[in-house]
Amino acid sequence: MSFKKTIKLKTILTALLVSLLSILLLKVITQVPLTSQALGITLLDLNRDLTHSANAVTSVVTYFRGLDTLGEVTILFLSIFGVGIGIDRSTQMKTILHYDNTLLKIGAHVLFPVIILFGIYIIVHGHLSPGGGFQGGVVIASAFLMKFLAYGDAYELDHRILVLFEALSGVGVVVLGLLGLLSGGLFLSNVLPLGRLGTLLSGGIIPLLYLFVGLKVAAEITVLVEYFLRTQDARDA
Amino acid sequence: MIGLLITGTFLLLIVLAYVTVATPYLASSVVYFMAFGLGSTVLYFLFSAPDVALTEAVIGAGVSGVVFLVALLQTQTREDDA
Repeated sequence: MSFKKTIKLKTILTALLVSLLSILLLKVITQVPLTSQALGITLLDLNRDLTHSANAVTSVVTYFRGLDTLGEVTILFLSIFGVGIGIDRSTQMKTILHYDNTLLKIGAHVLFPVIILFGIYIIVHGHLSPGGGFQGGVVIASAFLMKFLAYGDAYELDHRILVLFEALSGVGVVVLGLLGLLSGGLFLSNVLPLGRLGTLLSGGIIPLLYLFVGLKVAAEITVLVEYFLRTQDARDA
Repeated sequence: MIGLLITGTFLLLIVLAYVTVATPYLASSVVYFMAFGLGSTVLYFLFSAPDVALTEAVIGAGVSGVVFLVALLQTQTREDDA
């Protein structure tokens, strides 16, 4: 009897909370004026004057909202950390899940450098064309994923190098931010010459920042994928 | 032309989402989900957001599908009557 009552009370409270939140949301939606177009134009003007980055999305992500990007990278690191704690208990016992397939092996062998090159291109041209650190980093990690699927344990990754990349790039982002804080008074403000709009060496610290973010994301997602693929061999168990 | 393309992609995405949930086989559900990711990549691109489209192409249609498939292979399938 009392059990039923608590459930009912919970349901009522949930309904009340949901309706309250939807009323608040409706209020916000109706009160905030739809100035997204004007905001976009202002941002584009600011971008042309402040960052000299041909890709405005990049300058929003790394320059106007650089601190958020640092937060995202931190969250990614913490989630990989959690996965490592949760999954990687006894590495010696586990083998990487893979398929013995000649076609897959040859395909992985041929495509691996091409995909790595494409990822580096996306990272390096982040301020010129669509893409950037996150996208390029994940593309690089997917190349490693393909290698793991094709070769399994025969393909060994040096974890020390991965950890080194990950740590150095993480430190690099923070050091760049502190340099901006020292010289310009703002965290992650520009400390390098802006260059000419549309050339590879332009945009101030944005290419450097995206290089760090890309390396960090690539190393982290690669480690994550390897953790996921490590499995107890079903035939041995 | 673009509007027609967008409408077609939307309809395709609705169908793919329904099939993803409705199919009785988990493996084909994952494949439909990856196709859904590919469709949303096209949609993002049509809405002139190539940055998001690039992320969706790698994450949605690639890595997450592989992670789902691996999880599927490492767990056992059992059907309860209840």
